[in-house]
This record gives sequence, C-alpha cells and structure tokens, in this order.
Amino acid sequence: MSQEARKRILGRVRDANRDRETVAHPGPLPEAVEPPVPFGKAGRTDSVGAFEDRFRAAGGEVVRLFEEGSAQRWLKEFASEFESVAVCIGVPDDLQPDLPAAPSSDAALGVSVAVGAAAQTGSLLLSSREGHQSQLLPPVHLVWLRVQDVYGTLGDALEGRRENLPATLALHSGPSKSADIGQMIVTGVHGPGRIIAAIVGPDMGTGV
Amino acid sequence: MRVSLFVTCLGDRFFADAAADAVRLLRSLDIEVDFPTGQTCCGQPAWNAGHVPEARRMAAYTAKVFADAEHVVLPSGSCAAMLRCTYPHLLGSSELGERSYELAEFLVDVLGVTVLGGGLEGRRLAYHHGCHALRELGVQSQPMQLLTSAGARVVPWEMDQECCGFGGLFSVKAPEVSVAMADRKLETLPEVETVVSADGGCLLHLDGRARRRGMGIHFRSLASLLWEARRGNP
Amino acid sequence: MEIHSRDYRQRARHIIQETPEVREAVTAATQTFDDHRRAAFDDLDRDALRRWAEGVKSHALTHLEEYLQEAEARLLERGAQVHWAETASDVHQVFQHIVAKHGVRRAVKAKSMLSEEIGLNPFLEACGVELFETDLGEYIIQLLGEPPSHIVGPAIHRSLEDVQGLFHDRLGTPFDASPEELAKAARRVLRDAFLTADLGISGGNFLVAETGSIALIENEGNIRMSTSLPRIHVALVGIEKVLPRWADLPTFLQVTSKSATGQPVGTFVSIIQGPGCLVGQEPDGPEEFHVILVDCGRTRLLADPEAWEALRCVRCGACLNVCPVYRQTGGHAYGYVYSGPIGAIIGPGLVGLGETVPLPFASSLCGACEEVCPVRIPIPKLLHVWRQRAVERGLTDGAERSILDLWAAAVTHPRLFGWVEKLMAIIPEWVSRRLPMLRDWNSGRELPVVEGRTFRELWEEGIE
Repeated sequence: MSQEARKRILGRVRDANRDRETVAHPGPLPEAVEPPVPFGKAGRTDSVGAFEDRFRAAGGEVVRLFEEGSAQRWLKEFASEFESVAVCIGVPDDLQPDLPAAPSSDAALGVSVAVGAAAQTGSLLLSSREGHQSQLLPPVHLVWLRVQDVYGTLGDALEGRRENLPATLALHSGPSKSADIGQMIVTGVHGPGRIIAAIVGPDMGTGV
Repeated sequence: MRVSLFVTCLGDRFFADAAADAVRLLRSLDIEVDFPTGQTCCGQPAWNAGHVPEARRMAAYTAKVFADAEHVVLPSGSCAAMLRCTYPHLLGSSELGERSYELAEFLVDVLGVTVLGGGLEGRRLAYHHGCHALRELGVQSQPMQLLTSAGARVVPWEMDQECCGFGGLFSVKAPEVSVAMADRKLETLPEVETVVSADGGCLLHLDGRARRRGMGIHFRSLASLLWEARRGNP
Repeated sequence: MEIHSRDYRQRARHIIQETPEVREAVTAATQTFDDHRRAAFDDLDRDALRRWAEGVKSHALTHLEEYLQEAEARLLERGAQVHWAETASDVHQVFQHIVAKHGVRRAVKAKSMLSEEIGLNPFLEACGVELFETDLGEYIIQLLGEPPSHIVGPAIHRSLEDVQGLFHDRLGTPFDASPEELAKAARRVLRDAFLTADLGISGGNFLVAETGSIALIENEGNIRMSTSLPRIHVALVGIEKVLPRWADLPTFLQVTSKSATGQPVGTFVSIIQGPGCLVGQEPDGPEEFHVILVDCGRTRLLADPEAWEALRCVRCGACLNVCPVYRQTGGHAYGYVYSGPIGAIIGPGLVGLGETVPLPFASSLCGACEEVCPVRIPIPKLLHVWRQRAVERGLTDGAERSILDLWAAAVTHPRLFGWVEKLMAIIPEWVSRRLPMLRDWNSGRELPVVEGRTFRELWEEGIE
C-alpha cells in the first residue's frame, strides 16, 4: 500500500518538476554572512567566552574550571544541595557526584557530558548514546564540557559530528521555557528548569 | 521642463484642491505642467481585485493617454507604483513606468529639490507612509526631507509604516477588519495637528473612520502641505 | 480538519466585535515576536541570508524526487521505518496499524501543523487512544477544544485570565495562580503522560536528505521527551520539508528560530536519525522510529507553475507576526490550519480555491510579509495569482464583477467617466449609503464627501 503511494507520490513530484528550470544549490553560506570571529560581547573573541555569553543570555549557568582538581572541588560543593542523581554513561568516574543514584524520573540532578558546543548559538551538543532520560527528566541538569570541544559556529560543531551520528543528536541551549501562558515566560516547563555548563580545561586565551 | 500631471481617479473627485496645489508647486519651480484630459484611472482597483483583462485595458488606455508625456507626475504613491511596478507585467513594457513619479519622489530625485521653502515652520505633523509608495517604490525619505526642511516637525509615530487597512476593495470586502486596522493607526497617533499622506485612498479611509468616531483629526494630502511649504517662503 | 475559510468575513467580524480581547492579545504577542525578530537580524546581512535560504529551498524542491529517495535510503539504513501517505486517510491507516500492533493506549504528541491538516487527534481518539498534546499552548487549546491560532504560539489569542479560569476548572488550580503555578500543574499532568505513553508523535521542521535526519525545534522540552521516552516514535513530515545537506541544517535552524521568536536558536533541537537500539545499543530511546512522508496536496502545489514557491515555507510564522490584517483577529478567522499570509497562498494550493477563496482576499496587499519571509516567498505576487484565478473561475461575488466591468468601461471612455463623476455628485448620501460596497464602507466610516469641483473642472477654469 505504502509502496504504491510511494510510486505515485514520486511520480507526481517528477511530473511537477518536469518542465521547470532547476535551481542549483547555492553552496556554502557566503563568508560575508558568517563572520569568522565567534560571537559574544565585544572584545571577547575566544569561543568559550562567546559560548558563555550566549548561554547565560538564554538563562543557562556557566562555571569555568581550569583543571581537574578544581573541577572535583567545585562538584563536591555543588552536589551538596541535591539528594539524588542520575548520571549518563559517558561521565568519567571522577566527575560523578557522590550522591545516591536514582532513576531519572526521580533524581534531583542529572549529569551528562556534552560531545561539543557551539558559541554562535550558545548550544551544548548532547548524544543519545549517553542516554536521553538523565538529560531531560531531572529538574536540574549539569553538563560537563571540555574547552577543546567548543566550536565557533554551529556549522562547525555539527560538521564535527556528521560521520558518527547517534540516534538523536540534541542541542540544548538553555533551560526549558515557554511564553504560552499569556505571553509570560516561565522556565522548567517540561525539560530542566536549570542547566549548568561546567567547562573544564585551561584558559586558551584569545583565538579559537 | 514639462511634466504631465496624472491626477488619478480619487484625486480628480476628492482631492481636486490638493492636485491644484501640486500644479502651483511645480509651476513655482519653473516646471510647465500639462493635463492630458483623456486620463481616467490607472486600473489599480481592477488589478487588486484579480480582474486582469480589465486592468490591462485600463493600463493600455492610460499608456496611450500619456504616450507623449516626457515625465508623468502623480500625487499618489499607489498609482505611481501601479505604473512602475505593475504596468510592465500587464503591458510587457516598463517604458511608461520609467518616466512616471510620485510627486515628492519627482521633486527630490529628478529635480534635486530638497528645500521648498520655510512655510511649515512650527507645524506638528504625523506622516502616514502608504504601503505601495513605501515598499514598491521605495519612497520614504523624500516626503520626510521636504516636510522637515520646510520647518515642520514630523512627530515619531510607532505605527507610521503599518498598513492603514484601505487596500482598495479590501476596505469593503472585509470592512470590519479594515476598520479595526484604521483604529489601530488612529489610536496610536501622537498629538499632532495634521496627518499627512501621499495616498488618497488611505486618507479617505482614515478620515472617514476618524469622523465616524468624532476624533477631530485633520488629514491632508502631501501635495497641499508641500505647496504650503513653498508658498510660505517670504 | 474542517475548513471554514468561506466564512472569513463573518468569523473576523465576530472576533473583532464580540471578543475584542483576542485582538488585544494577538496584537501584543505578534508585536513582541516581530520586535525580537528584527533585533535578532540586526548585525547580520539579512538579505544575503535570505537569498541563500531561498536558493537552498528552491534547489531542494526542484530536485525533490532525488532527495526524498536519498532521505528514505538513509533512514532505512539506520533502522527507521518509512511510510508514504498520499491522503489523510493513508496517514490514519499507518497509525491504526501501529496502534493495533502494539496495543497503544496512551500517546504524547508534540505540536504538528500537519497533524492538524489531517485530523489526526480525533482519529486517534476514535481508536481508543488517550492522547495528550504536550506543547503548553497546544495543551491549553486541547483543553479548550479549539484549533491553533498561530503557527508558533497556538494559544496567543488567550490571556492569562483565560488560562487561570481553564486550569481552575480542569486541573483544580487556584483562580489567581501565577503563570509558574499553572505551568507546574500542566507539567505534573504531562510528566505522567510522558512516562507512561506507548507512543510519541511529532512533526518535523526539516528532513535532511544527506543523513536521513529529522530536525525539530522547540523551547519547552516536550518534543525532546515525546520523541525519546515512549517506545515508539512516529514523525509526520510533509515532503516539502527536505533540506539537501547536513551542512544546510545549522543555518536553517538559526534563520527559522530568529524569524520565529528572535532567538539565536530554539532552546532544544532534536536531530533524529534512527531508533537507538538498532543504531548502537543506546541505553534508552525508542525501539521503533517511523517516518511518514506526507503528500496531502503538496504534489499538486508543486506542479503549480507560480504558486509552487509557497512550498519553501519553513513555518516560522514571521509573516503572521508582521501582518496588520492577521493581528486584528488571530488565526481562527481564517478557518484553516494555516492562517495569515502563508495560509492565504498555501491553502488554495493544498486543498483548492473552492474551499479557501476568501483567503487570498483577506489582505490589504501591504507587502510587509514579503519583507520578513526568510526564504523570500513572493507572497503579494501569489496573492494576486490566486485572486486572478478566483475571478477566472467565477468564484467571486457577481455584484463586484459587474461593478468592475462598468468601471473598466468608464475608464476607457472618458466621456462616460465624466458622467460617472457627475453622477457621484448628484446621488444623495442617503441613497449612496445603501448601495453595494458603499454600504459596507459606511458600516464603519463616514462616506467621502463629494463637494466642490473636480480637478478637471478646476483645470478648465485655469489654476492660479
């Protein structure tokens, strides 16, 4: 049934375009439109700084942790507010909070690792290989991100994933929000109401 | 220089004085004005209503009337847009459109006149940008320049570029929506003595609604204001 | 969905006169969206972006056959199931089969305009499926039993007070509940639905041919959940949603988000390639991923030599947000799933002019829409095209046609024109107020005053 429909649909598409002049693909976006310098407050030309600005502007939280040691210290203090945690598969042992584990639907905190980030849009890239549920269900979401995984443009960030796509590659660019109730913004509607990007790695200074 | 005035159907019947002011204004700039008497209507009502054969007949007729005109000047943005942007589609030639201009456009872009005089000193005005003049002809700065250089203060109006709701036959096919659009314009008007526009349809529609609501707002044609700007020159 | 476009004028009148708060709410919401849109493009070469996006979409549509096949092949390689549906009924059958095979009792749904087109919700409910709209705006209108009023914000025509009253009745929240409390109440109900649903249903913003990816943009997270928590995910995708390459996606995600709400990108984007268990033994996610490629009038519109350009639409809603006609009523006046400028040019193409004839006329042709469309659809030109066809097919009002015929005759015969002008001067106002068209003018405005001489007469006398 579907095969018949397929044949007819494709046939009609072919007929529709038969006498039409084809249009060539315009190719990549022209340089003039995509400035090579990443985005953010004037003067901050490093991608990480630009990512921070965009992510915060959308209501996300950012913490910079320049070495593993400080990351663990910070984690211990941060996690002390929470009673339970659901951790994604890819999170290294020493970056997992020392909290009782709970299913994602009950956990107070979800922890995952981003496979990349884009400064242009302030987006974290998350993979379904880590598991969807801990990225979505707990009300607070902590995402570990390495400095070297922060790209300038969204295009570059996505290009880096093309060869090895998981079932779902998700972009999370801030806390869940909606303006559907009388045009007033509320957060944490379905997804996490708080999202924290914990960026680990040395300050690379200016330059991408 | 000689121009032929295309007064437009609404102009002839409802804005005769304003059109006469346009003639006086052009003459004061040493322009000879003629008036081909066979002129009637540019055909916009038929075109907007989807009546292409009728629109084409009217366009062909109009093109004949103005066949010998060096420059055609219209005190109407939407009619000028019809000649420049739609006649090529209807008649297969952009020839007439290329020598046709809305009045303010003609003064600034062709004659290079940006200061008419000081006759609008102290006047507080709001300017309604008709959609066709604004978006099809790109006429926006010229009226502003001519009004402000004559001493008028064109008061900022957030909704000045929003459609007034006339839209030709739209005004009578969806009258409640059309009137609601007029209300939005009228209710957002700053405190001014006069609202000015280069489009007769817009003026009739807004004025009609303002009078029905007893709002006491004065609407004037751009041509008349520009003549005042000039005439007031000591 | 039933189409009521033929009643546009009455519906518009009713909304404006009986429920003026709708006009207020819609005006405020669309103004906000448009302000944000403008700011989002401030430091970008908007023109170059739009030309590029237009080029990509036109290319995709003129090569649609090959891209659809490529998308299908990629999806199948990744273990997705691909169905082709010509009509609403075909789509229903796919769902019926899935519901029966898997014993689906409960489903969660993300916002999908296409699902409205085909009347999916009533069908599923008739199959005995308990269906939850999970987008907060859609959830609100589901409770109200109303169709969506806007492509991006389905409930923009409803105020906070409306929602407070509704949730008090249906969810037991206090009358003065804050937006946060209302959202929390909805979240509780819908969280339970997400966790217990057998089936998740979504639309698709884009279908990337090169990788067989469906991309979905949102802010709440309900699409993320609907497409990853239930065992089965079905995505409904119009065949025109194709993008050729992976490299095209990032720009379209951004341009669509900016045009819709002014955001750099929507808060959540789901880029879905296939069911996790088959792709790489992922810890969770759907076991089955179905993509239904839907025609429902799209091939008919694609064949249209002029109106096919409307298929470039990315459903951002920017044209609705800037339309001065739309903002007086919101979407319900149009009586069709797509409203505003895009509805007026896509509706006649998808379902025919007979059902939708007032829509191309529900416009003052101001041109604001064309300026904001990210894929440069020539909306005013297409409005003209549909108007012309309506006239040619005899679908417009007889009185209007006669009047325009008379006008054309008068215009091309100057003596006749002169008589018409004289006639206008002598008809008493109490008569003209009752004539067709003038009657409609007079319902809300004073008639133009016919007084003094015509310009022609002034010219004859000599102008000093």
